[in-house]
Amino acid sequence: MAPRVSCFLLAVLFSASCRVITSLDWMCSEKEANKTYNCENLDLREIPDTLPDTTEFLEFSFNFLPTIQNTTFSRLTNLIFLDLTRCQINWVHEDSFQSHPQLDTIVLTGNPLIFMAETSLNGPKSLKHLFLIQTGISSLDFIPTHNLENLESLYLGSNHISSIKFPESFPTQNLKVLDFQNNAIHYLSREDINVLKQATNLSLNFNGNDIKGIEPGAFHSKVFQSLNFGGTLNLSVILNGLRNSTTQSLWLGTYQELDDQGLTSAMFEGLCEMSVESINLQQHHFSGLSSTTFRCFTGVQELDLTATHLDRLPSGIEGLSSLKKLVLNVNHFDQLCQINAASFPSLTDLYIKGNVRKLDLGAGCLEKLENLQKLDLSHSDIEASDCCNLQLKNLRHLQYLNLSHNEPLGLQSQAFKECPRLELLDLAFTHLRVNAPQSPFQNLHFLQVLNLSHCLLDISNQHLLAGLPNLRHLNLQSNSFQERSIPETNLLQTVGSLEILILSSCDLHSIDQQAFHSLGKMSHVDLSHNSLPGNSIDALSHLKGIYLNLATNRISVIPPHLLPVLSQQSIINLSHNPLDCTCSNIHFITWYKENLHKFEGSEETTCANPPSLRGVKLSDVELSCGITAVGMFFLVVFLFLLTILLIFSVKHLLRWKYQHI
Amino acid sequence: MKGFTALFLVWTLLSPDSGGGEAWPTHTACRDGSLEVLYQSCDPLQDFGFSVDQCSKQLKSNLNIRFGIILREDIKELFLDVALFTKGSSILNYSYPICEEDLPKFTFCGRRKGEQIYYAGPINNPGFEVPVGEYQVLLELYNENHSTVACANATVICS
Repeated sequence: MAPRVSCFLLAVLFSASCRVITSLDWMCSEKEANKTYNCENLDLREIPDTLPDTTEFLEFSFNFLPTIQNTTFSRLTNLIFLDLTRCQINWVHEDSFQSHPQLDTIVLTGNPLIFMAETSLNGPKSLKHLFLIQTGISSLDFIPTHNLENLESLYLGSNHISSIKFPESFPTQNLKVLDFQNNAIHYLSREDINVLKQATNLSLNFNGNDIKGIEPGAFHSKVFQSLNFGGTLNLSVILNGLRNSTTQSLWLGTYQELDDQGLTSAMFEGLCEMSVESINLQQHHFSGLSSTTFRCFTGVQELDLTATHLDRLPSGIEGLSSLKKLVLNVNHFDQLCQINAASFPSLTDLYIKGNVRKLDLGAGCLEKLENLQKLDLSHSDIEASDCCNLQLKNLRHLQYLNLSHNEPLGLQSQAFKECPRLELLDLAFTHLRVNAPQSPFQNLHFLQVLNLSHCLLDISNQHLLAGLPNLRHLNLQSNSFQERSIPETNLLQTVGSLEILILSSCDLHSIDQQAFHSLGKMSHVDLSHNSLPGNSIDALSHLKGIYLNLATNRISVIPPHLLPVLSQQSIINLSHNPLDCTCSNIHFITWYKENLHKFEGSEETTCANPPSLRGVKLSDVELSCGITAVGMFFLVVFLFLLTILLIFSVKHLLRWKYQHI
Repeated sequence: MKGFTALFLVWTLLSPDSGGGEAWPTHTACRDGSLEVLYQSCDPLQDFGFSVDQCSKQLKSNLNIRFGIILREDIKELFLDVALFTKGSSILNYSYPICEEDLPKFTFCGRRKGEQIYYAGPINNPGFEVPVGEYQVLLELYNENHSTVACANATVICS
């Protein structure tokens, strides 16, 4: 019986100790040694002893701390950032953060706070950000005002706040962000706004509050960085209430699920008497859009009309002649000319992204936009058999053009002659039809970035990239080369200034040794997701200090004479290759282990051969491939025996022969 | 020693945390004459609530739904991935942006980690007729860092 009992005891002990180990296992994860720890979702009831005293950034959300007091975090005196989201905190007692002079951010989002003591936030020398989102606050005097002099942002969203009137003692002089999203604020009085007069460059967020009234003059001569009245149903209330104010950015958009009564010209009258730089009206409907609707927008520089159900803009719009940036994304235009671009002669940035209908670029629709620098026409179902000189006529100053994610475009030589100052051209995921030997990008002397990924291009056309003297960044991902190989003479020879080259997923099986010879300035080469063998590294022998990505290829053995080529690069990724871990690759493996610091993705850099080492990290492989002393001894013995045997047989043969004479 | 081994085995089998946690219960999102939609949360951290106001073979456009969840991530950007299977073979894969920095479609866009969300309203879907059969649908909501916001394994039975 005794041994059984002891066995049982042993088992209990063992299981207990194992449990301690497992609970340690799902302790906080270390993001940065001795500094940053994540203890989310661990159901912890206190700060674990395993956390070092030096912890500065602590993610402690989704744990269980009904009461916070001065002993709760007292050990972690170096805390800078403390996230206590949804820890079921009811009480924040006196001097809870007394020993945390460096604390600058406290997140208390989603806690059912019953009471915060008067001195509960005392301690931090410069508390800058306080999150009290969805904590059940109904009145602003719930927040202890001691020690908020340095507060820069205060988040009070999703509470039951109906008045934004702060107590007189509330220090607002350093406030930059005041967020009242999704509360029950329906009225703003003069007094409410006056309390904030000490704050400069304030961003005020009333998104999701449905303001029904603003006391006349409440915003008189007030200055704001941004004001957000998103989801407010009656815009005239807002715009009349904001008379004589100055705001950098005013967000007045609405949302899909809200009923929209439609915007009329009369609603914008208040705008004539205020100064706003940027306005967002997303997802509204315009009822009776006319050339005078924007009459009061004369001072506006940026106008965002995303998803406003527009199928045309009236011609001769008044009030937008000094507009710099216009966003018309997700609308219903059939023809680019329907935006009547002549109304915006000062425009520098135009976005018509994600047009709901197939957009026809027409001819010269933007020719009046002489100052246009940035044009985004992506995701708009654009199709053109001969692009883009007629379509982009007279855009002499265009620097950025995005035509990505469209339908097939046919490009002839000098397809972008009308925009000679292009610096960035994005054509990703747009099928390009270019007949050899055309050079569509010819004479783009300023072009630095060209994205041709997923363009289904014929890359065997050696003239494709002719005339790009300053190209630095070229993305050719997911295009195919003839015969799955880059030959000695190829299209890259014309772009000698290239620094970043992406050739991933191009189904490459080989690269000629001289293929990149004219590219001397490269610093980043991505050849991942191809079928390249080890000897393709030879093509990089003239490059030094580059980032080289060879992940997911068919590299198994890297011959010793190519190791210096790898040695001279700064970062290399060889993960997901079928690497050989036998003695035939011993030089590379030894070198790899000496140069581990150069490698990216070393966790995924594993052996494929021999079968016994499949999946083992290359850095863990131990190989001995020289002949050992024992081996040498047996070899000598074997040779010795062989010699004796030979002598005997010769002797025997001779004797046998002579006997027969 | 036999006893010890047996005990050890029993302990390893019974001890908590050795396997995955218990699965969340299967809920009914809607059930009408011809259509039944069941779902189960595949986020190991939490369950969520979901219902559709009407459920018929002839699916109406702009359905109203109700949805309640605790956010474990900020949703300044929120995307939905839908994968539809029937009899083990994939029919449809589809990705849809719900909240984007330059186009927050719904009022809940931009809400923060830790907030509890309740949404009751339209979802702007097209109307279509569901062919008779049984379908498996994998729905995933994730944010700009690809962190899971919600995950559901749903079964749609249309008779």
